[in-house]
Amino acid sequence: MRTYVLRRVLQTIPLLFGISLITFLLLQLAPGDFLNQMAENPGISAETIEAMRLRFGLDQPWYIQYGIYLKNVILHFDFGESFARHQPVFEVLQDGFNNTLILAGAAAVITWGLAIPLGVLAAVRQHSWVDRTLSLVSFVWLSIPEILAALLLLMLAARTGWFPVGGMRSLDYDDLDALGQFLDILHHLALPALVVGLIPLASRMRQMRGSLLDVLRLDYVTTARAKGLSERVVITKHALRNALNPMITLFGYTLGALVSGSFIVEIIFSWPGLGRITLDAILQQDQYLVMGAVLMASLVLIIGNLIADLLLAVADPRISYD
Amino acid sequence: MKRLLIIALAVATVATGGCRRRTTEAEAYKDAVPPPEEPMIRAVATPGRHGGRFVLGQTIGPKSFNGMMATETSSTDITNLLFTTLVAFDNASQKFGPELAKSWEVAPDGMTWTFHLRKGAKASDGHPITAEDVLFAFDVAQDPVLHPYVQDSLRVGDEKFKVSAPDPYTVVINTVKPNSALLDILCVGGLVIMPKHTLESAFKDGSFASAYNVGTPPDKLVTTGAWRLGQYTPGEKVVLTRNPYYYGFDAQKQRLPYLNELTFLLVPDQDAADLKFRSGELDGLDNVKPENYKWYEEHQRDGTFTLYDLGPANNAYFFWFNLNKVQSPLPGEKLPAGKKVGDTFTDPVKYAWFNDVRFRRAVSMAVDRDAMISSVFFGHAKKNFSLDTPGNTEWFFPDLPRYDYNPVEAKRLFASMGWKDSNGDGVLEDTHGNPITFTMKTNADNIIRVGMANFVKDDLAKVGIKVILTPIDFNTLITNLRSDLQYDSILLGLQNSVPPTPGNGQNVWRSSGESHEWFIKQHKPSTPEEARMDQLMNEILTTQDIAAQKKAYREMQTIVSEQAWMIWLPVLEIKLPVSNRFGNVQPSIMAHRLLWNIERLYVKPRES
Repeated sequence: MRTYVLRRVLQTIPLLFGISLITFLLLQLAPGDFLNQMAENPGISAETIEAMRLRFGLDQPWYIQYGIYLKNVILHFDFGESFARHQPVFEVLQDGFNNTLILAGAAAVITWGLAIPLGVLAAVRQHSWVDRTLSLVSFVWLSIPEILAALLLLMLAARTGWFPVGGMRSLDYDDLDALGQFLDILHHLALPALVVGLIPLASRMRQMRGSLLDVLRLDYVTTARAKGLSERVVITKHALRNALNPMITLFGYTLGALVSGSFIVEIIFSWPGLGRITLDAILQQDQYLVMGAVLMASLVLIIGNLIADLLLAVADPRISYD
Repeated sequence: MKRLLIIALAVATVATGGCRRRTTEAEAYKDAVPPPEEPMIRAVATPGRHGGRFVLGQTIGPKSFNGMMATETSSTDITNLLFTTLVAFDNASQKFGPELAKSWEVAPDGMTWTFHLRKGAKASDGHPITAEDVLFAFDVAQDPVLHPYVQDSLRVGDEKFKVSAPDPYTVVINTVKPNSALLDILCVGGLVIMPKHTLESAFKDGSFASAYNVGTPPDKLVTTGAWRLGQYTPGEKVVLTRNPYYYGFDAQKQRLPYLNELTFLLVPDQDAADLKFRSGELDGLDNVKPENYKWYEEHQRDGTFTLYDLGPANNAYFFWFNLNKVQSPLPGEKLPAGKKVGDTFTDPVKYAWFNDVRFRRAVSMAVDRDAMISSVFFGHAKKNFSLDTPGNTEWFFPDLPRYDYNPVEAKRLFASMGWKDSNGDGVLEDTHGNPITFTMKTNADNIIRVGMANFVKDDLAKVGIKVILTPIDFNTLITNLRSDLQYDSILLGLQNSVPPTPGNGQNVWRSSGESHEWFIKQHKPSTPEEARMDQLMNEILTTQDIAAQKKAYREMQTIVSEQAWMIWLPVLEIKLPVSNRFGNVQPSIMAHRLLWNIERLYVKPRES
């Protein structure tokens, strides 16, 4: 097990290196650079822009810029500064990362909190009207693009006033007590988390249903029933535990996609997460900030996948990595 | 059970949404700091009272709180409030007034300016602001490595303005050559005065550019203006609170600003800001899409807000033709590949058309601006034929020559050049048989510009000219416009600086200017008309006599109009909604439209 983890960790190094190289190349291929945005402003002279180009090292060819970047990362663990903000990249990303985790976490609670019980219900009542309604509703939701769902809910918020129109905290947040602050964030969180959480719901629910149905057909379930156990015990104690096995793997994989999965919704709901920062950075061609954001999202994805594989080994004694 | 809990929580949050504690509406403010020896008395329309908060939306968060180094408006909108300047520019009267300098005079030589600083002025930590801070501002602004954008306005050629401080409350600026435009760069948008005592060490150790970045804790961010930083939550909001030491007062001896707080709420885009204004979360918008004007006009009857009609904007749209020619390279420069001195950057055949003033005038007369206004601008625009717009009370001349829509005259001019459609394909040919066609570039992300370019294309097709429209990425456009000069014509908008004075327009009007769009950075004027414009610009800068300045500027603008180097397009009319809860609201077409007098806004007492 330990060698397996070590091998996986070592594998991430060339992977991250490749990702950083591709990102850097793509940024170089985009027309212009960070300073082009200023050139339209008649108040900023070409000399000012030239001086900034020297200061940022943008006058160097791309391979030298990339080389310096790599050297700083490897030797000093320094991921560079944002051009626009004059701040170290990870200082800029930190708050956004935390906020994205909050949104992603809430969404995961919604997805899994609904997917498992509903999937079980649909499996137990296979072919009943409950099962059919659930699959209809979930597929309708699955086919609504997330951007449309987000806009519709935002419109609902604006029309009814039941929910805030985007944002993470209300203006009076600092005047509230701890419980008030918690509820305030929850109030702002509800709609974006709903959008992010409901999208994978349909497939997760179907997987839960399928997985449980597979197990219910097995001989040991028939044995359990033949023993005279109540249906509730058969399902919760015997069938469900085995049926959950593939769901654990899936859960691990979604962990990884959490951070990158909510970017669009973040932007629509002005959720102050990584999505907003990354989009601004890309539009501005703030290159080291983009690099930092991409590397961070990749790292979370890689770690998520690793956790998924490990969880599987923990949950299922038949699987071992040695 | 868990499910139930989640539902219960959701219900609870919805319920609490409506009943949160309202902050300190006009909570009494106790002015604990004694007034300075020489307070600045600001004229206010209605004396206000302390307290309250104004909330404004901002689509991009600030990138820096360093007023000297910040370049984009998302940061400077805020730093302009945090840091003071030597003089003030009043957007309403469009005149200069005292700020940190209580008075100033120019010596008869036109280049020695003496500024008398306000005694007792203090930074937000109570530290006095003196001539030391002004000298420090000049040191930073003129530093060759930092090269803040204001630097180029603080020198003549390679020679820096000389600054000295004979005593702590006097600053003498020598502008090397007579310069009547000095005040333009000592007011808002120009040289900011930042506190020396907190920033000197950063300047000395070379870290000034990253000093006062957005990660700076608010209590470490000492300011000199009416406001200081209260709180910054990245991606969410910026809260400014009053600077308790600010030297500005109203006539009743109440310290300004009246408001306790000014909040910038960060929103993803213009549409989200609209939603938030409509739901009452924002108190004003500084930008509204013209298609939404109607909604606000209809709903202001509810009495919660007023839509202020500010008239034509302070920025003009226009297009121009590429008249750039290869000049002999300066030291360190290379000739463009495959070109020699005197070559044109555009096709020489096209250059011959573009360089003919009859062609440019005829093109201008082919453009139906009224049709453009009703469609692209939803009726909310005005025809305008100069870079200056009617809202500029000092430098706008309404009676300049103009080449407005007249397709018959346009066709006559083309015929007089010997152009006719000999092969009957609907496109004119020049005397050598070349079909008259050119490309027009604009940035694809700007709907209004692309819309106008489409109209220009259709209108010119009617007079026999084929335009190929190429909306492109903004950065590519800038490269075409400033470095490789590969284009036939470009359609853009240009924002007038504040104050909108000839001195601030030098970059556009001087033949050597970087924004002298049709032929940028000329080593020497390429036409007698441009030589005359340079001469007129020098006249404006050497005289302190406003009437003489205006006469020279009018002559310059007449030349620009007659030469039709820039083909003017309609100017958007600006309308802004602001909540009726506030007094002394006076939006201006000049930046910042809502905040220029924000220290004088107050929350009106509730009518009973």
